[in-house]
Amino acid sequence: MSAVADPGLPAKTGRALLIAQALKAFRANKLSSVGVVIFLTVVVLALLAPIIAPHDPLEQNILHRMEDPSAEFWLGTDSYGRDILSRLLYGARISLFIGVAAIGSAMLIGSTIGLYAGYRGGKVDAVIMQAMDVLLAFPALILGLVIVAMLGPSIQNLIIAISLTAIPPFARIARAPTIVVKERDFVEACRALGFNDTRIMLLHVLPNILSEILVMGSLWLATAIRVEASLSFIGLGVKPPTATWGGMIREGFEKILDTPWLSVFPGLAILLVVFSLNLIGDGLRDVIDPKTRTD
Amino acid sequence: MARRPANGQAPAQFALDVRGLTTSFYVGGKWFPAVRDVSFALKRHETLALVGESGCGKSMTAMSIMGLVPKDAGRVKAEAILFEGQDLARASEAKMREVRGDGISMVFQEPMTSLNPVLTIGFQVSEALRHHRGLSRRDAAARALHILDQVKIPSAKSRFNDYPHQFSGGMRQRVMIAMALACQPKILLADEPTTALDVTIQAQILELLRELKRETGMAMIFITHNLGVVAELADRVAVMYAGQIVEIAEVAELFARPTHPYTEALLRSIPRSDRDTAELYTIPGQVPPITRMPPGCKFADRCAYRLDRCQAEEQQLAPLAKAPAHAVRCWRRTEETQPEMVVVDA
Repeated sequence: MSAVADPGLPAKTGRALLIAQALKAFRANKLSSVGVVIFLTVVVLALLAPIIAPHDPLEQNILHRMEDPSAEFWLGTDSYGRDILSRLLYGARISLFIGVAAIGSAMLIGSTIGLYAGYRGGKVDAVIMQAMDVLLAFPALILGLVIVAMLGPSIQNLIIAISLTAIPPFARIARAPTIVVKERDFVEACRALGFNDTRIMLLHVLPNILSEILVMGSLWLATAIRVEASLSFIGLGVKPPTATWGGMIREGFEKILDTPWLSVFPGLAILLVVFSLNLIGDGLRDVIDPKTRTD
Repeated sequence: MARRPANGQAPAQFALDVRGLTTSFYVGGKWFPAVRDVSFALKRHETLALVGESGCGKSMTAMSIMGLVPKDAGRVKAEAILFEGQDLARASEAKMREVRGDGISMVFQEPMTSLNPVLTIGFQVSEALRHHRGLSRRDAAARALHILDQVKIPSAKSRFNDYPHQFSGGMRQRVMIAMALACQPKILLADEPTTALDVTIQAQILELLRELKRETGMAMIFITHNLGVVAELADRVAVMYAGQIVEIAEVAELFARPTHPYTEALLRSIPRSDRDTAELYTIPGQVPPITRMPPGCKFADRCAYRLDRCQAEEQQLAPLAKAPAHAVRCWRRTEETQPEMVVVDA
């Protein structure tokens, strides 16, 4: 074969093209676009909390306890006279951070474990997955409870606890399709091209199972926010007076008959984020499948 | 066949020298050979066809050479598999990975499933170059595009970022060939590359392979059960039956003087447009299962020329007295000076 001058490559290659196609596919799914808009709005509001919050979230005001929503306090005040809106905005920072950090690490660790176990198969797989099953045998909330009780309540420990409970499901969700994909002809073709196992796992198997993992991730992010809320609700979450959505629901719960909005607003916030993440998860599937992406 | 020095390098005219290759599988608590004592030498620039019916061990021979037989189920033993001064039978897995896709490449039967559905064909053709040659993304892409042109993908440039599902079967097989040839291998193992394709596309792919072989000067082992393809493409033919080579000869010689009874029967089973026969010849009986191989000749049960000796004792692959390059594994035929009948006129 003679060397031929560079015949010139298509204008868009690799990453740029992938992103362009992905955005197009995502936009085609109207509902998931709505999900993205809601989620990004919440993230931006959370990031801008110090600028846009009308009050200090920790500032107590004995004269304005348990007030109804008004021009001064848009969403009312709690039993210490703190502004609910400001607490919601600051709480979003913590709740979202815990969720993203916990699920991000669980996704990374869990799918690595599942991918490796599924790809290797045999005894390695059996040992790893049985260990995962032991973890899986505990309900997520109980396991999180035990871990936080052992380590003590703090943001960092909450992240560790939630992440540990989420690792086994990610390992399972990554392992099952890996077992199917590794038997497919193109993996054999990769071996015939001299690729090593790491390359085959990361470049050839992983992209084929990514949609399952990411969809699962968006759903578990919602779960993580719920678990954080639950743990805070029973007093094992972030310590007061720091605002978190779960913590706010718990505080409000004691007075739910007199002033329901104390719990209703943070509850609505969680509902909104969980809802948006579910919509996003739906759209992600379309983005990752090249068939829908290139149509 | 004439023995070559056992531990030396393969003589320079050989691209690949396989000696005494036996691949066994573990079935019901025992090891059974699926490929038994296969020896052949592939000359440089030569196309050797491995012919035989399904399950005769031809694909497994290729997989064994590539070191791709799954370790938990199969066991590969060989006196030597010499490629460029290395003995692949004794090479480490890391060494084999260097050879695969670079020195020796393989094209598979199923183009519809042998490409990764979530990666662009441009990426997949570039990948071997980046892996084996350490080329940058850009350089590899430029080279890959050139190869896609070479395998005659129409408007390769605009299709570079397309996914496999956007290609037809024939086009995907071209992509597979491009992937296999990316690193300019010395040897291409083509495992029934046209079997899954339409007849017209088959012809195109065969023409392409012939052309690429001429351009690159690589040697090729072409695995098929289609004798028509063999006649068209091969320089030499090895006929396999029940894991053994039963006959090996130059292609013209084999078609002119098929000497092993199995080869003879195979050639009689081809439908021919120039013969007016009502019924197609079929070989009676079936291949003995791997777990119940008879001690003597494996074809004896189905053979019309069977001697008592055939079922007791196994003949070696022995050259014919009149044609030393033509070797046959048959008691009767190696003893006779001339085959009894000529089935197909040259």
